[in-house]
Amino acid sequence: MKITDAAVFPYPHGDTSVRRLALEAAALGFDSLVAIDTPAAVYGGIDVLSGIIIRDTPMRDIVNRMKRLRESGAVISVMAGDAGFNRAAIGLKGMHILRGIHAADKTAFDHVSAKMASDNRVAVDIDLSTIIGTRGIARQRAIARYRDIIVLERRFEFPLTVSTGTASVLGLRAVREITGICSLLGMDTADAERALGGVEQVMVPPPPPVRVIA
Amino acid sequence: MTPRPPTLRDKRRYLLVRVEPAGTPVDQKELYYTIADAITSLFGDAAAAVMIQAVVAAEGEYVFIRCRRGSERELAIALSTVTACRDTRIALRIIAASGTMESLRERIRPAAPAPVPAEEAEITFGTTTFTAVHGSGQKIDVIEKGFKNAHRLYLTREDLELP
Repeated sequence: MKITDAAVFPYPHGDTSVRRLALEAAALGFDSLVAIDTPAAVYGGIDVLSGIIIRDTPMRDIVNRMKRLRESGAVISVMAGDAGFNRAAIGLKGMHILRGIHAADKTAFDHVSAKMASDNRVAVDIDLSTIIGTRGIARQRAIARYRDIIVLERRFEFPLTVSTGTASVLGLRAVREITGICSLLGMDTADAERALGGVEQVMVPPPPPVRVIA
Repeated sequence: MTPRPPTLRDKRRYLLVRVEPAGTPVDQKELYYTIADAITSLFGDAAAAVMIQAVVAAEGEYVFIRCRRGSERELAIALSTVTACRDTRIALRIIAASGTMESLRERIRPAAPAPVPAEEAEITFGTTTFTAVHGSGQKIDVIEKGFKNAHRLYLTREDLELP
């Protein structure tokens, strides 16, 4: 299982080059990174996966973009919207991660979405930047939303991913620190490790329902 | 006041923490207030009172933080939510925890940051000229040339060979 940070924003989005992020991530215990709008590469033993985030786009355009991007090998994420939008997004072929669920409506991700995510192997992202970088009510809301997601995850077993969502090397956190922060969300060490390996889980195609043996 | 006998004293733990980016001047008092704020914001006043954290020493880029034994995990979580000290962006990397500062001193890497070579003192990255401020191994930190702009970019030496 590859320990992966599911979203970092290298230069020019941020102040750190992708090579430097890979160098620091290796020192902090990661095996791979998803770098948004950056070509895939391997730097210093760290697999840098290309990531694409689709946001503020009507569903029709998302369907068209998804058709084009499906074969690109990139990790495709969609920013969460309301409940209908999320269900439609989760049902799309080629979709990997549903992001920004903490900022979406309270009812945006329910048990129906959770079942769909489980069936379609779509992960829900836990963005630690809101927990690390905000204070007060914003952080409390994010923790409450993520705790709710964890409850659904325990029941429906859809994949989770963990991202620091950082644009700087200063925003990266060590695997042990991420495990500690995840404990605030009600995750134990095994849950956190499974979530850190969530990107690999969604990128590997599911086994076919019928296996041809001869 | 007579000091308490050792058996009646609180058991303490010390955390060795490295402050990033390298070369950031650390004011112990400011860092103490920053950490206290992070703990209070995350766990509340009651937990902060149990933890009784203190920044006991700063040696170069390393800082020793003390807490009550048994609360080091909570302290470590709170430290990972520290993103700035006053107006300076920092990150606190936890290196080790121990019962004595002496054993933590053994974990401090004595290597001083490598000096930035003269030919790299002025660097062009993209279309902008930067000045190198810190270099260590493959890592190199630069700031845009001009005294008013102190925003750091974090690069590697390999990046600078790009066109």
